[in-house]
Formats: sequence, structure tokens, C-alpha cells
Amino acid sequence: MIRVLGIGGGSREHALIEKIASSRHEPRIYWISEWRNPGILEVCSSTGGELILGNTTDPEFVSSTAKRLGVDIAITGPEEPNFHGVPDALWRAGIPCVGASRDLSVIERSKAALRRLQWKYDLPGKLLFRTFRDLGSAERALEEAGRNLTWLQNVVLKPARQAGGKGVKVVEDRQAYLTEEKTAFKTEHARWLLSYTSRYLDTDEKILVEECVWGPEYTVQCLFDGRTLVPFPMVQDYKHAFDFDIGPETGGMGSISGPGEALPFMTEEEFRESVEVIESVLRAIQDETGQEYRGIAAGQMMLTELEGPTVIEMYSRLGDPEGVNALASLETDFLDLMFAVVDGRLSRTTVRFSGLASVVKAVAPEGYPDNREIARGHQVDVDLDGIRGNRCRVYWGAVHLEGGRMLTMGSRVAEILALDRSIEEAAAKVNECLDKVRLRGWRTFYRTDIGTPESLRRMEALAGTVRRLYALRRSRGTVGRRLDWVPGVGLVDPAEEVRRTEVVGGG
Amino acid sequence: MPGLIGICAFGESARNWNALRFAYYAMMSLQNRGQESFCVAWLDASDGKLEVASAEGRLEGLKELVESRRGHVAIGMTSPVRGDSISLIEGDVRLAVATDGMASGSTSRIETGEELGRRISSKLTEGLDLLSAAVKAVDSLPGGYAFVVLTERGELCCGRSNLGIKPLCVGGYGFDLGCVASESAALEVIGAEYRYDLRAGEVLAMDRNSLRRASTGSGVERPCAFELVYLSRHDSIVFGIEVARFREELGRALAEGDGVEADVVVGVPETSYPAAMAYSEAKGIPCKVGFVRTGNHVRSALRPTQLERLIGLQLKLNPVRSSVEGRRVVVVDDSVVRGNTLKHVVSALRRKGATEVHVRVCSPRLVDGCPFGTEVPPRDELIAGSLDEGTLSDVIGCDSLAFLDLSRLEKTASLIGTRFCTRCFGGNQEGDGL
Repeated sequence: MIRVLGIGGGSREHALIEKIASSRHEPRIYWISEWRNPGILEVCSSTGGELILGNTTDPEFVSSTAKRLGVDIAITGPEEPNFHGVPDALWRAGIPCVGASRDLSVIERSKAALRRLQWKYDLPGKLLFRTFRDLGSAERALEEAGRNLTWLQNVVLKPARQAGGKGVKVVEDRQAYLTEEKTAFKTEHARWLLSYTSRYLDTDEKILVEECVWGPEYTVQCLFDGRTLVPFPMVQDYKHAFDFDIGPETGGMGSISGPGEALPFMTEEEFRESVEVIESVLRAIQDETGQEYRGIAAGQMMLTELEGPTVIEMYSRLGDPEGVNALASLETDFLDLMFAVVDGRLSRTTVRFSGLASVVKAVAPEGYPDNREIARGHQVDVDLDGIRGNRCRVYWGAVHLEGGRMLTMGSRVAEILALDRSIEEAAAKVNECLDKVRLRGWRTFYRTDIGTPESLRRMEALAGTVRRLYALRRSRGTVGRRLDWVPGVGLVDPAEEVRRTEVVGGG
Repeated sequence: MPGLIGICAFGESARNWNALRFAYYAMMSLQNRGQESFCVAWLDASDGKLEVASAEGRLEGLKELVESRRGHVAIGMTSPVRGDSISLIEGDVRLAVATDGMASGSTSRIETGEELGRRISSKLTEGLDLLSAAVKAVDSLPGGYAFVVLTERGELCCGRSNLGIKPLCVGGYGFDLGCVASESAALEVIGAEYRYDLRAGEVLAMDRNSLRRASTGSGVERPCAFELVYLSRHDSIVFGIEVARFREELGRALAEGDGVEADVVVGVPETSYPAAMAYSEAKGIPCKVGFVRTGNHVRSALRPTQLERLIGLQLKLNPVRSSVEGRRVVVVDDSVVRGNTLKHVVSALRRKGATEVHVRVCSPRLVDGCPFGTEVPPRDELIAGSLDEGTLSDVIGCDSLAFLDLSRLEKTASLIGTRFCTRCFGGNQEGDGL
């Protein structure tokens, strides 16, 4: 009897435990979560295991629990356990863990460290960036950008440390008449970021400013054993809360994948290049830390006119909801793969995928993501037969089982998955099910546009435009090259400034 | 025919945005739809109250206001009617309403807006949420209109009547703003991205925490043909149709079977440009710059008085002699309203040495007013509704004159999978839903 321990409590973890439970080894599964997720609870019980409530970011608690239970192998679902060194503690206790160590997961924890790594090793798929530790310097740089029209005018402002996917603002400032308004917003947001990130003591840098790029975004998730990288099929995640990519940033309101390795609007070549970009980051962080990366890594990518496949962020785990797509298409026994990862045997393992298209959509309580107080504490009703009748599966998210009732916790309630020959067909099945998860006396919301023919056409057009532009750069030998003319100064390569201020001086 | 705008900031950083400023520049971009009155309504950041303001004649009249006041949600309107304003509807929930178009049987646009506002208001009093209230109101009020509503609770609601007729599209800026506008160009001017066109009978509501859509379920899309031929900006998408591409199609249609022989094609600034260029391409006759305009872009046919109309068109049209001297000229225009423009154009071209002047109009004869509030003059002012082609040519002073056939316009619509409202061009007879 193999005993497995999983860590984390959301939809991604529900999908993970379901996949592990389907293993031919018929493992007994234990799971540590901070709330009683009804889906995870059910699978744990069905394998004779147990759901343990506790702090998932406490390495000592997790490793002592694992030892007590006689666990053979563990896996971390979310990023925070990695950031806190939960995998490190498990390995120290003699329990192999699929999950990036504290030092390796810096590629996700510190968005600044990731960029610095890419620039230091001159890796492909990087963006211009600046970091700030205090408001004064951020303010000066942003205001100066508005005056001098440098790249800092069109930016993405992020917390320099990963903060639950919150706090990212895209501020494109290409209209001089609105510059004052947009500069004021950037400064206000920088102020907010500073106070928001002050709760994290593990990074000095508080504010990250990156150049704003455009193009289709997608995620490539991989298994990595320190030497061999095995990618899952490409997934596209939709971050905006509302239909047609409008509204605030969420953890993801839906994701599409397949059929096959690349998405319909991406090429096999772009898939391969994306994998290479991700692998370059993983190899660099291994060199930097001297540790082996044994776990899951993912690149949240964008096809940009600057370089083609470009890293927006890295994950030290599966995406959520993208992980649900990845696991749904996996045919190989996932528990075998977990052992292959921790034993460094991926190069000798064959990994098969079904090749089917998959669509996942989240159902969220109104108020998510920015007003979670009003989104919390509502009772969930579900028509499971109706969902199964549509050949869809439900993965429970921020739902806590208490006294026989399921209550919302303020974040995404559930993710609904369908597989089919095409994204369009799978999306249509999921759309039928989205109102089968309801809240008593409160409204849910979800996105009906994801995976529709219109939406895919829009992506196809966008990808085509970007593809022509980066192909042009490749033919002219100007990939990743940016040049500005600053009146009175002359020709300026902003990459030089990044290298000077961030890599040599700040590194 | 007014330009409608709505801007709503989302989330916890909503208060860091001033929607009024975005509305201001979006309105600047929609002056093609009206430049007599400029109206805004917003939820004031200082006290959370719903406020309304307007300026006459010049958008700049609002500049001081948008720089001194703030609000995270705002609506705006550019109107071709002086003294126009956004209507305020009192009730349990106070509403500001701006409309483009008219309900069936209504006598004015303002009346339609107020009626729609009252119906929404009474449904809100019954306890419906804004989206459901607006869907019920739209379903009960037939006609051809689009609207934006701002409530004192900070909700922005917009939609199109069951016949559609008037355009309205939605876009977004970053993770922060939801934007609606009569034309997509207005979204792009403020840096937002166009996302999609609302369908006939569709209603959309947003506030800081949500964006929801619903439909009456009884929408029948009837895009206004005049909108595509004349009103919208070339760089816009309206009703999901790319305006410039559509106008090129009209130019090609006009060239089909046109046996005229000429040396040069010129377009009348500037709505006719895509049609003139496509016509020139199809006929193999070079297209040249025919006129240079003085002053701002002015919709001369839309000015309220005959004198202002003449001033408008004379300022905009000074012919370029070298393009036309000693040549047989085809002049392409978008439409003929009163014939003022063409008469002026033809005589100016002749004085600069054009040997022949052939007028080609890339829309059918304008023969009737609009029941849905587009400021087409009444039937007795429309030159093409009253005179035959020979007499028309005599009045205008051209060698020949041809309009696009109504059937050809309708065919163009069917090719892109839609059916227009062509009432002002003499189409849409009784019993077809109009």
C-alpha cells in the first residue's frame, strides 16, 4: 500500500487527488488543507485516507504529520508551501516530495529575482523591468517616464513578491492627453503595492515595473526532475473577471487546452520554443542555487512581437485552473510520474496524453476578486446529477464543508471541466453547467465567452498579428531589441539601463 | 444619432480613476455624432451624489469641470441638438439617462429617454435589480434606440432596443475600466480595447464588483444603413461591421455597370473617401486629392440653420486646381441631403477647370425622415426625394448623376449576413418589423 500526502485545498488540489486516486497502485491518500474541501474530503475517505486541517505553510507541521502517517511520497499543490520550504522539510524527514524547494521556488516568489535571472544569464523571453524599494524612487521614475516618453510609460505594475495573484495593474499610456491621469494612477497603485507587500518580509523589493507587452497569453506546465523536462499540453487561462476580457484580474476564470499539444491558434514550433524558454529558467535557477528542481514548473507566457514566446511569470506548481486541464488530458499514471520526478527517472518514462480538447470554467461569488467580504459565507447548492448528465466534472475550490453545509470562502467556488474533440464543443458543455452551482441568497458569476468560436477567432487574429511581427524581427535580426530616441541624449537602448541598474548594481 | 459613452472603474482601486476624464476624450472622438451639446453625468467622488452637467457648442466648455471634479463612474453624450441634456429621473433610485434614437411613436429622443428611465425606475421600485429592470423596460418599449444609464448607486447600465437600429459597443482598459461607446473608435481614443457589439435587445450592467449581461430574447437586428453610409467614423466598428471596409464595398458597387468615362476621381471630404478610392480602383481611374478643408471637421448637413450649413461646407471644400483642371471628373459623395454640398462642389470644380463633372453617390436616394431620431431632415427638404435625375442634375449643375441602387445596398447587407433599416432610403415597407 502506497501512502501519498497532498497539500493544499482548492480546485487544482481536488483535480490532483482525483488523478492520484485513479492510480493503478490504489494508494491511500492523506491531504493537508486549511479548510474542509468537500471534493478532497470525499476522495480521501474513499481511499481510506484522511483530510487533515492545518497550516499548509508550516514545514514542521507538514513533515511531522507526514512522518506520523508513514507517507511514501508527497506533493504540494499551491505555491506558498514551496515558498515556505515545505518540500525541503519533507525531504529532510526522508519523504520525497514533488515540489520546488524554498530556494528554487524563488522564480515564482520574487518576480524581480526571475527577471534578474533571465537578464543575468541572457535567457530568451524576457522583458524590461525596474524594481523599487520605496515610493519616492518609483514616483520619480514614473513621472519622468510620462515626460520623456520612455518605456516606463507603458507598464505593468506588480508586487515584486508573488502575492496571491493580486495587485497586478496594466497601465498602457499611449495618449498624451490622458498621461496625467494615468501617471497619477500608477503612483497611487505604487503606494498601494508598497503597503500591501510590507506584510511579506522575505523580499526587500516591493514594487516591480515591467514593460507592457501585448499578444495572446498561454501557460505551459511541465514536470521536471532536475534533468528532464516533460511538458503538458499548452493551456490558455483567462484572467479577467468578466466576459470579453473586461474587469479585474482574478486567479483565472477559465482555461482551454488542446486538441493536441498546442492550442488551435498557436504553432507546434511556438510550443517547442516555449518549453525551451521555461527549461532555460529552470536550468539557470539550478545553477544559481546548486539544487535540483524536482517538481512542477510552469511558464505563464505571452507571444510577443519582441521575441515570440516570452515569460510573463513563472509558477513553481500547476496553474489553477490550468492544472485541471493538464491532469484531465494525462493518460499516464500520475503516481508513477510523481515517483519518476523524485527519483530523477523522467528521461526513461513515457508520458501519454489523450489529445482531447478541454475547457474549465470557474464559478465565483459576486464580490470576488476585489470585495471578498461580501462574497464570503454563502451556502452552496449544486445539481451534481445535472453536471454529470452533461458529461462534465466539478472541482471544488474555496468551499468549506461545515455541519453538512458547503459555504463560500470569498474566492472561486468551483471549476467545471469538460473534454471533447474541440474546444468549442467542450465549452458548450461547460456553459450548460455553470448555473448548476448556485448560492442561496447571493449571486454567482462566470464567463460564457471563453472557448466560443468568436473568442477563438479573436485569439487567432491576435496571434497571427504578433506572429508576423516577431517573424519580421527574426528575419531582420532584431529579436528582443528595443531602441529609444531621447531628445538631447540620443539613441538609448533601455536594456542597457536594466543591466546597469538591476543586474550588476542591484543583483 | 448622439454619441453615447459610459466608463466604469472596477475593484478596490476604482477610486483612483477619474472616469470623467476618459468620458471627456471619448466624447471628443464622437463629435461626428453631434457637436451642439456635450453632457456628462457622474457619481461625484466627494459626496457620492449623482451629478449632471452640460456645455453648449464646445466640448471644451466641460474641460474645467472634468479637471476639477472626480468620479469612478460616468456617462457622456455628444448631441447634434442645442440645449440637449442627460435626463434625470427621480424615484427610489435616481437615474441619469442618455439615449441615441427613439421609441416607436415617440415624438422626441428626450421623451424616449425619459420614458425608458421611468420604466426602469418603476421596475427598480418593484424590487428588481438594475439588469432585470432594464431588460423589462427595453422589452416593453419598442423602437430603435441605444441608451446608457447611470444610477445614484453607481451602477452603469446600457443596451439596445429590440430592433437595434443604433449601435453600442463594449470594451475594456487593463484590469480597471469597463467602457461602452456608440462607436469602437471612441474606445481606442481613450486607450481601451474594443471587445464586442451589443446585440439587439441586449442589456449590460456593471458596477465596481460586477458586469452582467442579459437579453430580452426578442431582438431582431436592424442596423441603421445611414449610420454605416454617413454617420460613423471610418476607423470604427459599428454593429460588428468595419465601417471603412463597408464603404469601400459601396464604392465598388457604385462602379459596377457604370459606363462613365473620366480622367480622375475625387471624393468629397471625408465620409466618401473609402468609397471614392474603391470606385477609382474598380474603374481604373486615378483618385486624386480634390479638396482641402479649412477648420475642424464639421458635419455641414447637420448644422441647424441653412447659413451655418453653407459656412460649414464652404470652409471644408476648396478644390485643388491641378487635380481637376482640363479633366473629366467623377465626384463621389456619401449622400445627398439638400443638395447644398454638391451644388457648391460642382460649381467650384467647374471654375477650377474641370471639363466634365459626374456625380456618383454611394448611397441610395434619401427620400424620407427617420422615425428613430437620426437628424435626417423632413421629406420636403430632401432634394432626392422630390426631383427626378435629370432635374437633379440641372439643379446641381453636373453632367450626370447616379445613386447607388437600394437593392444593391440591401444585397451588400445580406452578404454580411444582416438586414438594414433603410427607411430613409425608401426601403422597409410595411409589415417587416419596422
